[in-house]
Amino acid sequence: MNFLSLTGIEFKKIKRSKILFILLVATVVLWIPSILNAHMNFKMQAEGISPENNFFIQGFMGMSWFMFPASMVVGTVLLSQTERTNKGILKMLALPINTAKLCLAKFFVLLSLAAAQILMMTGMYYISAVICSKTQAYYFFLSPVFVGKEAAMLFLAAIPMIAFFWMLSVCIQTPIFSIGIGLASIVPSVLMINTKIWFAYPMSYPFFVITSEYGKLAANLNTAQVELIPWIPVAFAVTIICLTVSCIRFGQAERR
Amino acid sequence: MSVFLECKKIRRTGFLQAFIGGGILAGAVPVVNMAVRSEIYQTKQGSPLQILLSANWQMMAMLNVLLVVTGACLLYHTEYADHAMQKMKSLPVREISIFSGKVILTILMSLLILAIEAGATAFCAYYWFEARNGFWEELGRNFGYAFLLMLPCLVLSMLISEACKNMWISLGIGVVCVFTATMLPTDNFALSLFPFATPFQMFTGTDLAQVTRYIYAAAAETFVFGLAELLLIKIRRSFA
Repeated sequence: MNFLSLTGIEFKKIKRSKILFILLVATVVLWIPSILNAHMNFKMQAEGISPENNFFIQGFMGMSWFMFPASMVVGTVLLSQTERTNKGILKMLALPINTAKLCLAKFFVLLSLAAAQILMMTGMYYISAVICSKTQAYYFFLSPVFVGKEAAMLFLAAIPMIAFFWMLSVCIQTPIFSIGIGLASIVPSVLMINTKIWFAYPMSYPFFVITSEYGKLAANLNTAQVELIPWIPVAFAVTIICLTVSCIRFGQAERR
Repeated sequence: MSVFLECKKIRRTGFLQAFIGGGILAGAVPVVNMAVRSEIYQTKQGSPLQILLSANWQMMAMLNVLLVVTGACLLYHTEYADHAMQKMKSLPVREISIFSGKVILTILMSLLILAIEAGATAFCAYYWFEARNGFWEELGRNFGYAFLLMLPCLVLSMLISEACKNMWISLGIGVVCVFTATMLPTDNFALSLFPFATPFQMFTGTDLAQVTRYIYAAAAETFVFGLAELLLIKIRRSFA
């Protein structure tokens, strides 16, 4: 079976999981306070950021800090539990399929969920920009090229983090630990982005990228900037190590 | 009776370890914060507890809430995952007593994590500050208040996990609710009564009238969610 059809099967499995609905609710909840507090964007001029930029970046910061990583933890729970609940995983392992491939197919589904949530978030941004432009009589739109670039950066920065969460859910059979470690590791990312070793902590990447963009947009605000040199190699290493470990460990508990 | 049964069920799920670990992690927040930048806090005005909690309580409360949400999801996941719930329903046990057993167990666990956090806070106060008379009383009041305000969140997340058979849905709803709580404006009383937002409240720095209002509101919410659970059981049974 090739990788594409395997991934197709994985998508079929989560068809009735209502996960997209949960991801959507999260993005809607994100933008409601921004719409209600749209007038606040005009008070941020002191930092040298224009209202439309502020509106956009505040929303993305809110998302990348907690909701987006936490949704990914929920996604890992979905992927591991749909198989484990009715021992579906035993059937999958009995088929002549490479388990590493199966593991990667599931990881790919997780990445698609991440992409779907970022797309929804961007869509909701444009909807709320329409609403705010009406209520505040001010043009809140940003160019789709810029917004798309930010969304793509958020997605790319999230890959090591998602790989780490995936490794947790594959290696730790007890669900409370994989969820607990995942969720608990998100909370300190606020502290980690202010330290010099932020690049060693994959959970802080998405938030770091967005805050550094905030620093670029706001003329009077200095936030730490992305330094590609320690970061890119470390991020690559983290992703590869996490994926390798999860490919090796995948299905091992069931095959005992 | 059912509490003991629940205790047995959690034996190999890692529930207890997760709560102890989470409590230690939350307790480590003020200790690490003080160890790294004590000079910022030592010069601040106010009682030691006030300084410590205003610096760290948001993060500690966040960990507490996440822990309660995850714990509640897990307690029902163990029932639903291998259809143990059907067996429980066939036993001569009232369905509500399963729920209350789980709630009482989680209450005991949250008392444990709050005790760990209180211990860590007391350590910080004695090590880095001159703790004055009445410190223990203040500490007890603060963490007692924190416990009371955690109840609505606890009962509601248990209700959500009972209502959803799949763990990712209950966890997803819980996570979205925690996120909503962090987004809510803190100065609005009505909005801060959102069950997942009340644990972020602090006793110090709030005037007594407000504190009483919060306590009444938390009690009312807990009562309402308990009633909702009773209704849920009745309705679900008539449609099953």
